[in-house]
Amino acid sequence: MPESHTLDRGTLLVVESAENVPLVSLVIALRTGPAHDPPGRLGLARIALRMLRRGTTRHSSQEIDRRIDLLGAELGVDTSSTSIAMHGQVISRNFGAFIDLLADLLANPSVDLAELERLKRETIAEITESLDSDRSLVQRAFSRGFFGDHPYGRPGNGTLATVANITQEDVKQYYATHLVHGNVIIGLSGDVTSAQGLAAARTLSDALRTGSPLGDRVGDPPMPNGRTVWFVDKPERTQSQIVVGTLGTSARDADHHALVVANAIFGGTFTSRLMREVRSKRGWSYGAGARLSLERSRHAFAMSTAPGMNDTGPCLALMLNLYEAWVDKGVTPRETRFIQKYLVRSQAFEEDTAAKRLHLAVDVELLGLPADYYRNYRSAISAVTPDAASEAVKKRLSTDHLVIAISGTASDTLDAVNLAVPNLAATHVLPYAALG
Amino acid sequence: MPTPAFLDKLNATASPNARLRWVCDHPFGRDRVARYELGNGLTVLLLVDRSAPVVSYATWYRVGSRHEKPGKTGLAHFFEHLMFNETEHLAAGEFDRKLEESGAESNAATWLDWTYYYEALPSERVGLAIQIEADRMAHLVLRQPQIDSEREVVSNERRMRVDDDPDGTANEMLYKLAYTTHSYHWPTIGWMEDIAAYPPADCEAFYRAYYAPNNATVVIVGDIKPQSVLAKLQLAYGEIPPSVVPAEDIVPEPPQLEPRTLTVLKPTTNEKIFVGYMGPSLGDHDHTPLNVLAEVMSGGRASRLYTTLVTEREVASEPRCWAATFRDPGIFEITATAREGHTAREIEQLIVSEIDKLSSELISEEELERAKARLELNQVQSLETANGKAEQIGFYETVLGDPSAAFARLDATRKVKREDIRRVARRYLVERARNTVYLLPEVTHA
Repeated sequence: MPESHTLDRGTLLVVESAENVPLVSLVIALRTGPAHDPPGRLGLARIALRMLRRGTTRHSSQEIDRRIDLLGAELGVDTSSTSIAMHGQVISRNFGAFIDLLADLLANPSVDLAELERLKRETIAEITESLDSDRSLVQRAFSRGFFGDHPYGRPGNGTLATVANITQEDVKQYYATHLVHGNVIIGLSGDVTSAQGLAAARTLSDALRTGSPLGDRVGDPPMPNGRTVWFVDKPERTQSQIVVGTLGTSARDADHHALVVANAIFGGTFTSRLMREVRSKRGWSYGAGARLSLERSRHAFAMSTAPGMNDTGPCLALMLNLYEAWVDKGVTPRETRFIQKYLVRSQAFEEDTAAKRLHLAVDVELLGLPADYYRNYRSAISAVTPDAASEAVKKRLSTDHLVIAISGTASDTLDAVNLAVPNLAATHVLPYAALG
Repeated sequence: MPTPAFLDKLNATASPNARLRWVCDHPFGRDRVARYELGNGLTVLLLVDRSAPVVSYATWYRVGSRHEKPGKTGLAHFFEHLMFNETEHLAAGEFDRKLEESGAESNAATWLDWTYYYEALPSERVGLAIQIEADRMAHLVLRQPQIDSEREVVSNERRMRVDDDPDGTANEMLYKLAYTTHSYHWPTIGWMEDIAAYPPADCEAFYRAYYAPNNATVVIVGDIKPQSVLAKLQLAYGEIPPSVVPAEDIVPEPPQLEPRTLTVLKPTTNEKIFVGYMGPSLGDHDHTPLNVLAEVMSGGRASRLYTTLVTEREVASEPRCWAATFRDPGIFEITATAREGHTAREIEQLIVSEIDKLSSELISEEELERAKARLELNQVQSLETANGKAEQIGFYETVLGDPSAAFARLDATRKVKREDIRRVARRYLVERARNTVYLLPEVTHA
C-alpha cells in the first residue's frame, strides 16, 4: 500500500514504489478545481496549470517543451470538478532532472502575457472543435440541464466567453491562492524509493507558496425539477446520443456500497440489465451503461446509450421502463451474488500497477473519501444484501425528477423523444453551436 | 520453465494434434518469452510476470479486413462480435457471465491484418480463459437471431465511429483514396451496405477457414505456473483440428504516380486536412526511421508541425503524424484541424513546406535525441501492465513473426541517424505519392 507523509509545511506526499518498469509516474494535485473557478472566469484553473509549462523566469516555453521531451517525459493536466492535477511520467534514469524542472515551473512561473493570450486562443479553438463530438455535446447538455448554476456544472475548459476574460492577474492570483502547501498533494509511483520520493517531494514543496487548504465550499447540487428534455440539435445525425440521470450517491451515505452494487447490476457490466435489453436483445446501441459519479458532495447517476435515429424513441422508452422497474422492484438475490463476485474480483485490476495504486490513494484525499474506502471496498461490497441494494435504489434515485439529454437531429427525432417520456415537464432545444 | 521430462509426460498419451513442443525462448527486455507449439499448429507464447496477481490472456488470429472481398467488407470485424455469442457448450450470454463472475475484463479488436481477443483475469482464474477461448475457437454456434441483432449493433458502431464523426469519415476516405487495388482500400468496419447483407453461410465459411489453431497465437502474460498452464492448454486445444487456411489473394498496390485529392463536406465546425503518403510496411528497414520522423514532425509541443502550425502561426490544432504499422506497405498519415478563419489548403502548404525542409536539410542532433527519448518512453509505458506486454508480444508475433520485435525496433531506433531521416523523407514524402482529403464545413460550401 502507498506510504503517506505530511511535509513540514503541510504538503501531503504519497509514494508507491515498484521497480518492475523503469518508469516514474508523478501527480501534483490541487484540492480545488473548476468548481472553484470564479463566475465569469470559468476555465481559470485549467489555464493556470497549463501556463506553468509556458515559461518561467529562467526558461522559455519552447525550452521547457524541449527539455521535457529530451528527458523522455510527458506532462499534462487533468481536471475533475473539485480538483485539478498535473500528471507526468518520466524514464526513471531522468527522474531527478525532471523534478528539478518541475520545481522551476512551480517556483518561477513567468505568466508571460503573450503566452497567456496564445494559450487562451488555443483553448478557444479546442472548445470550438469539441462541437464535432456528439458525445461531448450530450454530456455538456446533461451537465447544463442537471447542474444548472451549481459549481459542478462548471466546465473544466471554460466557455468561449469566460476563457476570453481571463487575465494575467487572474493567473497570478490563482497561483498565490491555490498553488500553496496545504492545498497540494504530491504523488510518486513506480521506480522510485521512499527516500528518493521524500527528497523529490521536499524539492517540489519548497517551490510552492505558503498557504493552508482552501476548504471545499461546494454543497450538494439540487434535485432536478420534474422530467425535462435537453435536446442538442445538430444536422444530419444518423444516430442519437442519450444520457438520462438524476441525483446519485455520496461516499459518506450509509447505503453507498449498496447503491454501487445495485448500479452495477443495472448498467455496470456487459451482461447488465441495460446492456442485455438494449444491445444484446435488440441491437439498438453499440453500448449501454449506467454510472454513479463520485465527487466530494453528492453527484449524478446517469445511464447512456447511442441508438440509430429511427430507434431513438423506442430506445428511450425502454430505458425509462427498465429504470422504473429497477427502482420499483429492486434487484434479485441471484443478481446480487453475481455482481458481488464481479466487483470484488475485478478490483485486482484497479490495483495492478503502482500508478493505479497511487491514483486510488490520491483519490481518497481529493474526493474526501473515508480513509479506508478502498482498503475495505471488497468487504463492504460483499456485505451488501439484496434488500439493502433494493432499498438504496428506491431511497436515492428518483423516477419523477430526471434530466434527459439527447443529441440528434430535431426534425427527425424530437417528436419521438417527447412521446417517449411520460409526464414530461419541459423540452429545451439547444442549437449545437450554442454549447461552446 | 517446464523441463523436457515434463513435456514427455504430457505427451505420453497425447494425440498428434495435442503433442506439445518447446520451440525456443525469445528475450523480452529483462524477461524471456517461451514459445511452444501444439501438434495442430497452435502457437503459445508465455511470459511469467509476478508484479501483480493477474493474467492477460490474448488470442491473436491471423485474419483481418485484408482477407475480405468486395461486397463482403467488414466480415472480419463482424465476426469479432459474433464470437461473444453462443457456443455448443455455452448459451448466449454465458461467455460474458462466466468471465464477469470471475472478475475478468474481456474485449476484442479487429484491424487490417489481424483480430485479437483478450481476457484480463485474476491469476487463479486463468483456467477459465483457456477453457472458453478453446471452446469458441472450435464450437461457435451461428444462428440467425444473433446475426441479425449483432448486425444492428455493428451498424450503430459504424454510425458512431464513422458516419456521425467527421474525422472517422475523412480517415475512411483517405484509405479509399490511397489504395486502389489492395484490400486496405476498404474500412475494417465495412461499408454499411455490406454490413446489412452478410448471409449466415458466409459467416460459417469464414469461421471454418480462419478460426483454427494453425491460424492463431495464444499469448499469456502474468502470474502463472507454466507447467499447469501448458497442461490445461493441451487439454483444451489439443483435440481441435487444424483448418486449411485459404491462400491470400491480395493484389499489391501499384506505385502511385500522381497525387490524388478528395473533398468531403460534413456539418463540422472547422476545415480539416488528412494527408497520406504511401510508405513502407512495418517490417521494412525504412519503417523505423520513418517512425522517428513522425515524432520529429508531431511528437510533443516542441515538434516541427506543432511549433509551426500551433505555436507560431496559430492556424491549426492537433497536428498528428503516424507511420502506419501494417504488414503490407502502409501510409504515412498527417492530420490537422484548421483554426477558425483558416483553411485546410493553407495548412497543407505549411505541411508541405516542413516536409521539403526534412528532405533538403538535416534535422538537428537535439531534435533526433528528443524523438528517440519520446519513443523510448512510449515503449516503457507499454510495458506497465500484463495487458500491455501481451499486446506487444501478440502484435509483433502476428505482423512480423517476432514476439520481441518491440525491443529490436527500440534498438534500431537508437541507431537512427539524421541522414536516415532525410533519406526516408526523400523516398516516401514525395508529391506523386500524396493523397489528400479536405474535410470542409458543409454549410459554407453547400
